[in-house]
Amino acid sequence: MAKFLKYMKWTIRILLVLFVLGFLHYTLPQHDIVRITNTYNRLTTVGPENSWAYSAPDSGTAESTSTRDIRFIDAAFDGGKVIVYRNEDTGWVWPPYFKYDSSNLQAEATNLKSSGTEAKWVVVTHYGWRIPLLSIYPNAVAVREATGPDETIIPWVNIVVLIFLVFIVIMVRRMWAQFWERTVEPAAANVEEAWDSAETRATGFWGRIRRMFGGK
Amino acid sequence: MIGLIRLAVVGFVLLTVVYVLVSIYSRSVRRERLEKEWDTDPANEGRLPDERTAFIEAGMQAYRHSLRRRLIVLVYVVPLAAAAVTAYLVNW
Repeated sequence: MAKFLKYMKWTIRILLVLFVLGFLHYTLPQHDIVRITNTYNRLTTVGPENSWAYSAPDSGTAESTSTRDIRFIDAAFDGGKVIVYRNEDTGWVWPPYFKYDSSNLQAEATNLKSSGTEAKWVVVTHYGWRIPLLSIYPNAVAVREATGPDETIIPWVNIVVLIFLVFIVIMVRRMWAQFWERTVEPAAANVEEAWDSAETRATGFWGRIRRMFGGK
Repeated sequence: MIGLIRLAVVGFVLLTVVYVLVSIYSRSVRRERLEKEWDTDPANEGRLPDERTAFIEAGMQAYRHSLRRRLIVLVYVVPLAAAAVTAYLVNW
């Protein structure tokens, strides 16, 4: 039984870590160096299985929950592999890109289109995943001309955001510890004293609650 | 546009909660430090509890006018600045 609980605990922990990592990987910006081959829009049906990967229906491009006219950008990598981006406004809540210039972005992407013989390399900043099975596409956020197919890009935004998130986690833990030490423990001690003097159980209700949350 | 107003209202409420929590935390840390300062100073041995309370209250009074307490307003400023910079970089 104890072994089973241990496995359970670790499974939940690992799932939680994977979920957080996946969430960050989906949301944080990434850069691709590609050659834009086509830009277009097409009517796209958004269903319950993939609507989470599209923008909220009220964020601009089309005001329907199921069928929308969505802009797409086709591109090819240096090696010949291809990728398709969607180009949608993000709306105002999540993910927090505050993007509302999809039309302009589409025009810029069209302007940077090039053929295989005289390739023009473009850095596409995007977030999201391409999963063909679910018909989901990464959302392009910005395009600019690259210096070449092997330009090195330092992901400054990700560095800053991750450092900030670590800072938040540390602060929350410290605040929680402070709250516990200064508010809960004295209160628990008071209650325990009162209970002890009334000749009730030596552990006390708060003592048990405290142990439940891992206190001593 | 409605979305922006909603974000502003909800964001303000959430940040106010964060502001209050950070204020409580910061005050608590300061009070704890003052208590420890008094308790570890050998000169204070045998002095009255009233004096200890007065010392701590004086310290908290000073805290109320400190730069540190005023800096908590960054809780509002930093997210707003981050959102503005993001919107600027993404759309221009």
